[in-house]
Amino acid sequence: MKNHLKALRAERAWSQTTLGEQLDVSRQTINAIEAGRYDPSLPLAFKIAELFEMYIEEIFDNSE
Amino acid sequence: MTTSQSSSRFFKVFVPAMLTYIASTAGISALTNEIDLPAYILYVVMLIPIGAVFAAFWAQLRFALELDEFLRLIQVKGTFIGIAVVMIIASGWGQLERVSDIPRFQVFWLLPIFWSVQGLATTFISKREGVF
Repeated sequence: MKNHLKALRAERAWSQTTLGEQLDVSRQTINAIEAGRYDPSLPLAFKIAELFEMYIEEIFDNSE
Repeated sequence: MTTSQSSSRFFKVFVPAMLTYIASTAGISALTNEIDLPAYILYVVMLIPIGAVFAAFWAQLRFALELDEFLRLIQVKGTFIGIAVVMIIASGWGQLERVSDIPRFQVFWLLPIFWSVQGLATTFISKREGVF
């Protein structure tokens, strides 16, 4: 699944580690989500959306 | 808890458990070669390596549960591959033992095979997923 996590993180000048700490996940997990190698669980997706004050579908793109 | 803290907690239990397992297994073999122990003593002594194996698996489970969802998935995949390899060897060789005269395979070896395959598979998957 495509997502805008990298861009959103860059806008705030956060490192992957910083974002990971705020979401209580590892840097590796942030890296995998940004690279599209891993789709987060629904609770984690909600947490991400909450952190960026956006809707889930504004961050994650389910279109092929 | 961070990943490195979880790893540290895991190795603090896993390494002593495996050392206990190896030492007690070697000790029991050496002892039974020297002395003819009654069966009930052997059963009691065998609780040492069995306890060590239990501790190692408990540490592995705790480690997986402490990780975040992505890293836990890697552990689960590696463990599944380890179980699959052990089951394939056990059932494949077991079938051959049933129908042919091939040498007996000691099921004792399944544990080291499992840990080796699980470790390698987890490392390989971690590398492929860009974990390190």
